[in-house]
Amino acid sequence: MAAQVSLFGIRHHGPGSARRLVEALDALKPAAVLIEGPADASELLPMLADPDMVTPVALLTYAEDNPANASFFPFADYSPEYQAACWAVRHGAVLRFIDLPASDRLGATAGDVAEEIAAGAAATDPVSHDPIGALAAAAGYDDGESWWSDVIEENPATGPIFTAVADAMTALRADEKSPSAREAAREAHMRIEIAKVAKECDGAIAVVCGAWHVPALTERRSLAADRELLKGRPKTKVKATWAPWTAPRLARASGYGAGVVAPGWCAHVWETRDRDRAAEWLAKVTRVLRHRGHFVSTASVIEAQRLGTALAALRGRPAPGFAELREAAIACLCNGERAIWDDISSELLIGAGVGAIPAATPLSPLLEDLQRQQKATRLKPEALDRQLTLDLRSESGLMRSTLLHRLDALDVPWGRLTDAGRSRGTFRENWQLRWEPEFAVRLVENLLYGSTIAEAASGRLIEAMGKEAELGPLATLVRNAMIADLSRATEFGIAALETKAALTSDGQSLLAALPPMADILRYGEARAGTAAHLAALMPRIVVQAALALPYAARNLDGPAAAKLRGALLAADAAIQLAQIEIEIEIVASWRDALRALVNDDRATRLIAGTAARLLYEAELLTADQAADLLTRMLSPGTPVAEAAGFFEGFFEGAGQRLIHDATLRGAVDAWLMTLDGEAFTASLPLFRRVFSALDRTERRRLMDALFTRSIGAARGYRLLAGTTDIWPAHQARVLELLRSGAAR
Amino acid sequence: MSEKLRLPAEESYAAELKALSVGDQHRPPGWALAPRQVVTYLMGGKAADGTPITAKYVGDKRLIETAVATLATDRALLLLGVPGTAKSWVSEHLAAAITGDSTLVIQCTAGTDENQIRYGWNYAQLLAHGPRREALVPTPLIRAMEGGKLCRFEELTRMGSDVQDTLITVLSEKMMPIPELNTAVYAQRGFNIIATANNRDKGVNELSSALKRRFNVVVLPLPGSAEEEVAIIVKRVGEMAHSLDLPAPKNVADEVARVVSIFRELRSGSTEDGKVALKSPSGGLSTAEAIAVMIGGISQATFFNDGRLTPETLANNMIGAVVKDPVQDTAVLGEYLETVLKKRRGFEGYYASLTDLI
Repeated sequence: MAAQVSLFGIRHHGPGSARRLVEALDALKPAAVLIEGPADASELLPMLADPDMVTPVALLTYAEDNPANASFFPFADYSPEYQAACWAVRHGAVLRFIDLPASDRLGATAGDVAEEIAAGAAATDPVSHDPIGALAAAAGYDDGESWWSDVIEENPATGPIFTAVADAMTALRADEKSPSAREAAREAHMRIEIAKVAKECDGAIAVVCGAWHVPALTERRSLAADRELLKGRPKTKVKATWAPWTAPRLARASGYGAGVVAPGWCAHVWETRDRDRAAEWLAKVTRVLRHRGHFVSTASVIEAQRLGTALAALRGRPAPGFAELREAAIACLCNGERAIWDDISSELLIGAGVGAIPAATPLSPLLEDLQRQQKATRLKPEALDRQLTLDLRSESGLMRSTLLHRLDALDVPWGRLTDAGRSRGTFRENWQLRWEPEFAVRLVENLLYGSTIAEAASGRLIEAMGKEAELGPLATLVRNAMIADLSRATEFGIAALETKAALTSDGQSLLAALPPMADILRYGEARAGTAAHLAALMPRIVVQAALALPYAARNLDGPAAAKLRGALLAADAAIQLAQIEIEIEIVASWRDALRALVNDDRATRLIAGTAARLLYEAELLTADQAADLLTRMLSPGTPVAEAAGFFEGFFEGAGQRLIHDATLRGAVDAWLMTLDGEAFTASLPLFRRVFSALDRTERRRLMDALFTRSIGAARGYRLLAGTTDIWPAHQARVLELLRSGAAR
Repeated sequence: MSEKLRLPAEESYAAELKALSVGDQHRPPGWALAPRQVVTYLMGGKAADGTPITAKYVGDKRLIETAVATLATDRALLLLGVPGTAKSWVSEHLAAAITGDSTLVIQCTAGTDENQIRYGWNYAQLLAHGPRREALVPTPLIRAMEGGKLCRFEELTRMGSDVQDTLITVLSEKMMPIPELNTAVYAQRGFNIIATANNRDKGVNELSSALKRRFNVVVLPLPGSAEEEVAIIVKRVGEMAHSLDLPAPKNVADEVARVVSIFRELRSGSTEDGKVALKSPSGGLSTAEAIAVMIGGISQATFFNDGRLTPETLANNMIGAVVKDPVQDTAVLGEYLETVLKKRRGFEGYYASLTDLI
């Protein structure tokens, strides 16, 4: 063997390991640094040290023919692998990945999205993927880093730390069954690569790998046996590039199997590696608390620090760690309220950092995906406006529409719907296409959310849904997700809708959610989307809105009442639209709420009028009842402003009704006649508003109708007996008169 | 056999305390046990000599650790929580374990004045001999300071804010000035204060932030699981019904389970299967209130309903517990009834009678 090989078993994303690793590399000065990672992406590795590269970033490998089949290998500032790569570039050492090539992994997992880092393959088994975390949990620690610093670093029996780690792992692995075929192949591949580099290089070689693998890599195995293990591994064509990453997606809660519990705490441990960790952490907690409007004094921070130290002593730990500081912060800074801590913890523990990648990075898979889909749908990007009409009943039309909607969700408005909105329930869509060069840039920015257009659109919509506080816009987002055929985002959105709907009592926002939901229910039939969940949710929201309506309709001023009126009309239309899907009794409860509004004296008059009109249109009020109601509401005893409000609610936008509905007309006519001159003048603007919606012909017909009424009153006369006898004499007289007139 | 109705903790559990104090451990000044032994005393376990220690508190160990560590740093401890979360119980046992004396208690009420906190005067002495130390009547607080013991304040927030603030100097400077005698009482090592308070109650005086800042706060939560809570309530209802001479109807346990499930769902803001999110009413809906609802229902059943405990009799009592704010809580309850209870089997009676009542 030509070179001395040192193995450094690290904890992935462990700042404690990163710190010790850098120290060890400085001492060893290796000629080559080998890192656990896909071997076929080695040439991208030096880019990590590029000054334009801002962590967190992820190495992205994906199958050339199917970018949805992709793996991400995230790197944070405090990842030992990242620090090792930077060290190697700084010192001009050979730098390589040594794990199984990505072509192997992607060939094996063809079809599903695997998001894991090198050691994360065994994510199902917590011991092998984070053995140090497992040891820490066994020792009663919430956080592997605190255990690392307490046990490994503060260990009074000082020895080389990585030897201690290797010993611990050997002990752990002694009890394990033999590794899976994949695990064995990976370790064989690493052994072969290490041997290969050892032959090429003079000088020390540093191998940075997950602690779990150290015992296997020190084993002496024959090259032939290792080669045998690697025979017949799957293979596929892959591409690799860098993608910007975010701190929240480093967290285990985001679904990233090898993630850390609290990226914010890891970053803090890394940043404060030579300083007072506890005090700075508490200062950080205080800053976030103050930012959120909580009052926290410096004296309390000092007390928190003391309590943390006392707790650590009580638990027999050398220094306060994550758990102690959390409990101290809750007791001293949050007044014991866990809710306050939960409120700040996501900002504090997860963070919001976003990475950036240099301009020279290889082509993004999103652009490739777009090119492929453009080919498949036969849509060419053109810088000129072009009209496109799509028939959603045909497969190609649906495919094109889906693509355009997805791009829209990614804020790449290649196409704009020209008849925005109302065409959605039908099978036709009219688009105006125009490709702008900056769309490519915008598309690349979306790499954060996924490696294909569908996934990225899903991810982006899910993020937007998570941030949306209002029910109406949230329902609109769900509709968008459904139109774009993004089932993951749709499911997430419906779940979010459920939670939000349950927590809100604001009638207005409940009503606002109904129209997009009804749209989706209708739309679910036109497309192959599933709307089953929603069909269960919408009735609930209708019931809730019905319950909230009487309260929402009270004490409103003009603009608020007008806004609620709009929402009420839209919601009623939506309920009519979805009537087939929801049960009769739900519709009935909605109607009951409308009736309650009409009968509630405290309800704002405009809203009561609107409710009365909706009931009348649904034929739940007969014309006679409506006339009675109007007469009562408009009776002389009622203040004119209130009567006018009711009138406006009932009639605005529905003036035609007066033309055709004689009973109603009679009631209105009678009310108008009771107004004295002053009150009539005061109500004039209102009448104008109601009647100006009628065009000239309609107005004339209304006039005719009113005049016909007086003639109609004459209809009561009957022909006298013997009319036929009298008539000739009368006729002669009339003709004579006419003739004499004409002669003159 | 003692004639006392109830013995203080340090007498009832003298054997356990003795077993725990054996051995050479590092103790903070004035402490009878080492902090770790105090935690064992509360959470249960085994003493060094194998004596079994019963659990005094069932719940999160980390809370008790925080409480003990707080007292070890000479900071005052404030236990917060809704009624029936064992605040006073924990405070008594902490005092018993740490100083071996849990009897230095000041029960705070709206009528508590400064003289009951600081010191009073023996007026006969005062008139006969003038102001001097012998004329001073010490309070539990002064005795605790002089003896290096723990002083307990029950329901701290019930006394007036101006009286509460008497504690500020005691807590920050560990001394109490007696300006009439131009002297002061200095606290001995081991002195500290444990206060309990309700965090969701009406008619309390919010702590001033100056005072709040001088306490480390530990919030004791409500029971974690429904089974635990049902068991606690059935036991307490049985005891109380017995002491009130009320015959317990047969179906108490079933109805307790239903009442608890309604209370827990409303309190937690989601149904127990986690599928439907709900709004919570403004009141606390604590275990203690569930007990009160059951006792009220049983008493009504005994005297007015031939001993039959029905949803109707309980619903009357539940309305009072749930609806604290007539407008807001009625809406919350109405929504809960329509969206959840209407369809649930076994709750038809509750749905019907609660709907009638609101």
